[in-house]
Amino acid sequence: MKFKLIYPRWEKLEGQTIFNLPPHGPVVMAAEIPQNIEIDFTDENVEELIIDESPDFVGISMMLTTQVKRGWEIADQYRKLGKKVIFGGISTMLHAEETMLHADSVFLGEVEGRLGEVFQDFHKNDLKKIYNFMSKPADMTLIGPAKRDILKKDLYYHKGFRMVDLFHASRGCIYDCYPCAVRYLGGRGFRPRPIDKVVEELSQMDNNRLFIVDNSLALDTQWEKDLFKAMIPLKKKWVSHTIEDKDEVLDLAAQAGAWYVYQAVFDTSDYIKNRIKQYHEYGIAVEGTVLLGLDNQTEDDIKRLVDFLLEIELDLAEFTVLAPFPHTKAYSDLLKQGRIFDTDWNHYNAGKVVYHPKHMSAERLAELYQYAWDTFYKDEPQTIKMFNLINKVVSREIVDGTYTPRRRDIADLSFGKKVPKVA
Amino acid sequence: METNPDFNKYMDRYYTYSGQWDSPSKCGLKVINRKDGKTLAIATEIYRQNPGTPVTEWCAPLATQVMNDLHCTPEQFIFIEHTPDLNSKLAFYGETFDLVNFDLDENRLVNPKWLRLLPEQVDEMMEV
Repeated sequence: MKFKLIYPRWEKLEGQTIFNLPPHGPVVMAAEIPQNIEIDFTDENVEELIIDESPDFVGISMMLTTQVKRGWEIADQYRKLGKKVIFGGISTMLHAEETMLHADSVFLGEVEGRLGEVFQDFHKNDLKKIYNFMSKPADMTLIGPAKRDILKKDLYYHKGFRMVDLFHASRGCIYDCYPCAVRYLGGRGFRPRPIDKVVEELSQMDNNRLFIVDNSLALDTQWEKDLFKAMIPLKKKWVSHTIEDKDEVLDLAAQAGAWYVYQAVFDTSDYIKNRIKQYHEYGIAVEGTVLLGLDNQTEDDIKRLVDFLLEIELDLAEFTVLAPFPHTKAYSDLLKQGRIFDTDWNHYNAGKVVYHPKHMSAERLAELYQYAWDTFYKDEPQTIKMFNLINKVVSREIVDGTYTPRRRDIADLSFGKKVPKVA
Repeated sequence: METNPDFNKYMDRYYTYSGQWDSPSKCGLKVINRKDGKTLAIATEIYRQNPGTPVTEWCAPLATQVMNDLHCTPEQFIFIEHTPDLNSKLAFYGETFDLVNFDLDENRLVNPKWLRLLPEQVDEMMEV
């Protein structure tokens, strides 16, 4: 039996450097599909999807809100051919009711230990409209290594440089951050994976560079320290969200291969300044994630924030405008206040303004968003800053003996497509 | 009834409800039977103590459930959403009150519309 698993494409932000990373949701799902099922995976962001009658069953895995409309379109086409379609993934959970209009079935929640039932039901022609595991988080000990061999790995190289592979060591979060839906998706508790399972998976990964996608590693100090200690012998180099700023944690993180971390920068306080400095003292670079358009930001605040980012010597910065994704406090607040004016999910890419900001017009916020990108990267473009970061990791890999040279055979390709030659 | 030292003048009990996708959910609740014959219910979002769907996201079904449990008619029933001050550095977690008006679909409250209230206005509504 052939199961066609699809990761729909989405429109990338205008003017931004495009990096297509190998998706994580589909490989986590694939690990739970019974072994006798043949999986044919297409990531539409790096290859063309051919919709035909060959699959027996179709799965659509969606992470982003900007993928849902395309996902629905694909499902509609397969269903016209008489194929059954099941949806899963983060944005299926965020947009479940709407997605059900385009699906034979939706899977809500975490897959571990649960997909056998789905495929049995498919074989019996008794697929349920909903598989609802939303309030039943998976047993963390059941999470095994993701099935990354479904990926066409050569498609995740840019000019011969391999992109990071995605990996997760925990789920859930104890916080209720304003723009975030992790509480809804992964539960209100922090659920770390057993360290031995994490090490088992990391040891099997052939990519030395990783992005640990966990919402935050800074939620259980002892586990975090144990994790980093266990990672030291693996010599991986990795990117992650926040790490605790305790010296003993940062020291272990650096030894375990912390390359750079994403740090939310929400004000111009000494707290942020010192935190960045502390990361740098341990050789850990910082990419600031900067959310614009919050109710406490005036035009002057945004301009001051950009100046501050340059002062504190962030290695990289990523600017976004607030996107009120369903099941976030931001969505609830703006909905209550009647401030959301655009409900086209394709526009929820964190680069377009879909609501009325408090202290300025939507148009002005869009201008300031562009101003932030332009100003931060004026003297040193993003590609140069990224190159500097890559140089840092390469130096460390050479010392470790883990450096893999750039692949010359695909040096003229970027994510599977020919790079135009510069005259 | 569960008691809790954090109960305050807008919340004197916990209330459980089945949220979206049947998620077991919990909020704070205060019910006041007013002298004018109306029943005022204040539902408080309790964030980390709520394992399921937030109050705002489940506002209409939650209000319907509370109204039915209190044996009220829609005409008698007033529903206020309350988010407590979390003492966060971020401004979005301050205390808010919203009076919620609904349309009626048979016996169900639907299409919530929120109207921001000042704490003084809530206090006045509690004392009628």
